[in-house]
Amino acid sequence: MLNTSQVKPRVCILRTDGTNCDQETAYAFNKTGGESHLVHVNQLRSGAEKLSDYQILAVPGGFSYGDDIHSGKVLSVELASFLNDQLRRFVDDGKLVLGICNGFQVLVRTGLLPWGELGTIQATLMENDSGHFECRWTNLLVEQNNCVFTQGMAGTVIQYQVAHGEGKFYTDEVTLEKIEQSGQVVFRYASTTSGQATQDYPQNPNGSLHAIAGICDKTGRVLGLMPHPERFVETFHHPNWRRVQLGEPHGLPLFRNAVAYAAQTGAGC
Amino acid sequence: MAIQEVRVRTTPYLEDIKGKYLLREIQNTLHINGITGLVTAKVYRLEGISVQQAEFLARRLLAEEVFQNYTVNETIIKDADKLVEVAYKPGVMNPEAGSILKAAADLGITEMVAADSSYEYGFYGNLTDTDTELILSRLLVNETVEKVVTEKPATLIIQGQPGGTRVIPIRNMDDAALLELSKDNLFLSLEEMQAIRNYFINLDRDSTDCEIETLAQTWSEHCGHKTFKATVLVNGQAKKPLYQRLRESTNQAAHPLVLSAFEDDSGVMHFYDGLALCGKVETHNSPSAIEPYGGAMTGSGGVFRDIMGTGTGAKVIASTDMFCFAPPDLPDDEVPPGCLHPHYLLRRVVDGVRDYGNRMGIPTNNGSVHFHRDFKAKPSVIVGAYGLIPAADAGKRRPVTGDLAVAIGGRTGRDGIHGATFSSGEMTSRTMDVNSSAVQIGHAIEEKRMSDALLRAREEKLIRAITDCGAGGFASAFGEMGEDTGVRIYLDRAPLKYQGLAPWEIWVSESQERMGLAVPPEHMERLEAICREHNVEVTVIGEFTDTGKLELFYHDELVGELTMEFLHHGLPKRVMRAVPQERPVQMIEPDYPRDWEHACIQVMQHLNVCSKEPIVRMYDHGVQGSSALPPFAGEAGNAPNDAVIIAPVPGKKYGAVIAHGLNPVLNAIDPYAGSIWAATEAVANAVASGANPDELMLIDNFIWPYPDEASMYDLDRAVDACVDFVRATGMPFISGKDSLSSTYRAPDGSVLKIPPVLCISCFGRIPDVTQTVSTDFKQTGSVIVLVGQREVQQMSGSSYFDITGAASPHVPVIDPDRLITTLRCLYQANRSGKVLACHDISEGGLLAALAEMCLGGGVGASIEVPAGERADYYLFNETAGCFLVELDDLTQAVELFMDVPYSILGKTTAEPNISVTQDNNSLFNIATAKLFAAWQKPMQEVFGGC
Repeated sequence: MLNTSQVKPRVCILRTDGTNCDQETAYAFNKTGGESHLVHVNQLRSGAEKLSDYQILAVPGGFSYGDDIHSGKVLSVELASFLNDQLRRFVDDGKLVLGICNGFQVLVRTGLLPWGELGTIQATLMENDSGHFECRWTNLLVEQNNCVFTQGMAGTVIQYQVAHGEGKFYTDEVTLEKIEQSGQVVFRYASTTSGQATQDYPQNPNGSLHAIAGICDKTGRVLGLMPHPERFVETFHHPNWRRVQLGEPHGLPLFRNAVAYAAQTGAGC
Repeated sequence: MAIQEVRVRTTPYLEDIKGKYLLREIQNTLHINGITGLVTAKVYRLEGISVQQAEFLARRLLAEEVFQNYTVNETIIKDADKLVEVAYKPGVMNPEAGSILKAAADLGITEMVAADSSYEYGFYGNLTDTDTELILSRLLVNETVEKVVTEKPATLIIQGQPGGTRVIPIRNMDDAALLELSKDNLFLSLEEMQAIRNYFINLDRDSTDCEIETLAQTWSEHCGHKTFKATVLVNGQAKKPLYQRLRESTNQAAHPLVLSAFEDDSGVMHFYDGLALCGKVETHNSPSAIEPYGGAMTGSGGVFRDIMGTGTGAKVIASTDMFCFAPPDLPDDEVPPGCLHPHYLLRRVVDGVRDYGNRMGIPTNNGSVHFHRDFKAKPSVIVGAYGLIPAADAGKRRPVTGDLAVAIGGRTGRDGIHGATFSSGEMTSRTMDVNSSAVQIGHAIEEKRMSDALLRAREEKLIRAITDCGAGGFASAFGEMGEDTGVRIYLDRAPLKYQGLAPWEIWVSESQERMGLAVPPEHMERLEAICREHNVEVTVIGEFTDTGKLELFYHDELVGELTMEFLHHGLPKRVMRAVPQERPVQMIEPDYPRDWEHACIQVMQHLNVCSKEPIVRMYDHGVQGSSALPPFAGEAGNAPNDAVIIAPVPGKKYGAVIAHGLNPVLNAIDPYAGSIWAATEAVANAVASGANPDELMLIDNFIWPYPDEASMYDLDRAVDACVDFVRATGMPFISGKDSLSSTYRAPDGSVLKIPPVLCISCFGRIPDVTQTVSTDFKQTGSVIVLVGQREVQQMSGSSYFDITGAASPHVPVIDPDRLITTLRCLYQANRSGKVLACHDISEGGLLAALAEMCLGGGVGASIEVPAGERADYYLFNETAGCFLVELDDLTQAVELFMDVPYSILGKTTAEPNISVTQDNNSLFNIATAKLFAAWQKPMQEVFGGC
């Protein structure tokens, strides 16, 4: 067992052509006690870097390979083709995976979400109902479940920014029911007034079914979400910090939970 | 080789979002109502693979069963009444092609040799041929880059034999022949062509096409800034060149924070912790006029590369966009021949800026849109970028003899040939046909990975010098870099997109996403390794010499040789004549409003006043996690701020502020006053948000009609205004650009001058972003104070005069000396923490500013117009440099503003109304909701709700 007070969990911030939220995601993990490393997918493919040297894998936002064909698709194909075994072992070892925005799209398109079945796509993130890219702050209702990243946050309504053109969570009714039944919904877009899940635009910025903004796998260790927690880790990141008291920046607990979990379990290292 | 076609569409029981919005647009903007349904499909063409492989790719890569269907070599929209496919023309790079090849290879299919993608549109219902033609020409096909696919192509590979190098018998050309050679291609004057002829007569040989093209690029107005470097004769009196005057004013200001002014790809100022901030603003009017999406993209891409090419390479941290268009509801028959409709232009330019900035991961967080009918022939599209660099790596770098000349980034194609010369010419009704090769579709991801690799290379100190391959391509990049040493380039070594380019085409191609480097030979191996890791192509194409010459080789043949002396100093110096133009002074005063509500609503929904939020929402303004003051905020997130503030270094509280100002309407009425207004507006926006006026830098962008004597006079006055502004305020210009081609020549020979635009951008540093101010009222019962000097009868150029059809010679006159006192005072007030909200007054006047503050705060306001003032002028005057400030109580107003002009305007209220009184009589009381609805309506109609 590692001494958690001395060793910082290593976070692999996965990069490739078109990744562009890597540095702020790295900062968010570092600020909450992690040790982030920016790792290009080519370094994993060449063997210069190994996923097994890390406790947390984060797939940050951006436009990997231009979001050509589908958002996150080309990177998903690359991961499923070349890093299938490494990824599977990483998850099986009890380590944490976080996909934000484009990273969420990647996790869904690799099949890691919702069921952890690499290569099997069970859900998707479709073009927003508005038909265009949306950058705006949203309210998110945090659900009660076993998600490692949101422990202690359940029941609260927090605010993160979304910035995407393809974020409508969609799947068939059976799968959707299964995701709900097994408590895998982590975040829902919520109404500014009632704090309850909403289908109303623009509070629900993309028309996601059941207002789903983020889901985890059954273990609670793989999380994907469209909104950007790394964009609210300083008080002044919030658009209205001058007019409302929001307490601790809402992105911090998510990263802190991940780092603390990785430090406690010291999984695989 | 065989091409397999895979078609993919949204499963029929799900809504086709793309089809839905396109249909809505057809109905709303083209008023075609016979269509009952519209379905879209994506078409992939894959060359060199089998049907089975196509089937495999369809399943694993191209279609997702969860929400899509696909077919292989078969139509997918089977029952449509009309089916149209639109694709990029051959030779226009489709950025998606490379990803398809890569992903197929990752899935084990390596036989594919080429790929393409396009869209199919299936129309249902009653559609006449005229309707189809209109839909295609107005919404779906820009013939510059796209075409309707009528038959399956035989191959996707562009074939061609490289052309040779032509000798141009320039020595024997008479003046008429010289002019003919210049026309439509080189855009050089007779005098310049004669100088070239004389050079070759002295060499006793004729020129090659490479040489002529090199000179045309380097001497173009776009690259050479001939007008700004010319002596100006104003009414016969000689004045120093405009550029010299601007530079001298900067030198005289001797601002301690200036690190590099007017010498590098961007202007640089000191930041904190040994870092520096840089800024550059560019125009991209001509390409955007004929292909707005591609033009705006390449505009963004180019200005980002200016930041990436500063010092040994900066990181881009923000992007701005300022546009001028004709009104989106301009009647079709008013669109000049050869020009595109402003409704289409506006939306496609926004799409281009969005797709480039978002994909590069650069927050686009400051901008504006201005409207005037006379932009109907050509819009003004201004894009800015700001960057961060260690101060030690900033400053212009020069190559050293023996350094390698290195091309990095995208490959070279035929796209973008003659962009620089084209941008320098007038727009005519023929422009779209003759110059279609001057535009291209940008590839943001190519630039993003290049940026990633370059920043690493800079950190490892591998780069001696770097510059953007922008206008003029390799010719301008390496021609400029080699000015002090000489450079030898082997054109055959440049990686090409496809075969078939003549040497001169390789040399002047403006293919995007390329940069030129000078790299010491010992660093090349490491640079190559970094580039490999980032999937970036890097190629040595020559070396810097000690010959003082530009030498161009193609294989072993010398295809061009010019002395650097002639290339850079052989351009005949111009003398520009300037003569003032009589401006008839009209005086038409508006009637005093009988219906105040109507007047207020008209002003709020004026295109130059209304909310631009729908545009901002499409830009990712939060990426990089640096936002400290976003473009829109307030209770419902829809109230505008004056400037943007970012904290670009994670974990640090210091920040950068960015703002801008421009007023084409005022510039057209009074170039001097309009220019002072623009500069004032820029810095007022920054200071209202908490910036220190003594730590701001300026950037100028002159977008002017072709400088005939009258326009030259106006330009001279605008530069005088800039110089006077610097002298009074001490804020220096450290970067700038001019584009002097805002003139349109119609087929009948008539000339339309597009309104002159001086866009002033400003940026600066802020020690603590938590000591800054937003515009939204924070509470009820606050005191609202008006700060600043204005004469309310100076209404000329205002939105209010526009809607009332009034006119006046009295434009807002701003005294920069008094302004700087007000700004310094306001800065101290903002720092004190006592200012709850602050908003500068600009288009729409005091009333619009007040309404925006109420919107942000979810409150109302009750104000008093001083006795004796004409109330409509008081409310709608647009003098820049005046502010509304929210304070807790009256005593603070005296304490904070006793040294500057100020007055108590009123107070904030819980009732959501704006109530205005004068002489104890109520003038009007209007629900803020009505004002907001009017203010939000125009852009919602163009872009949809938000």
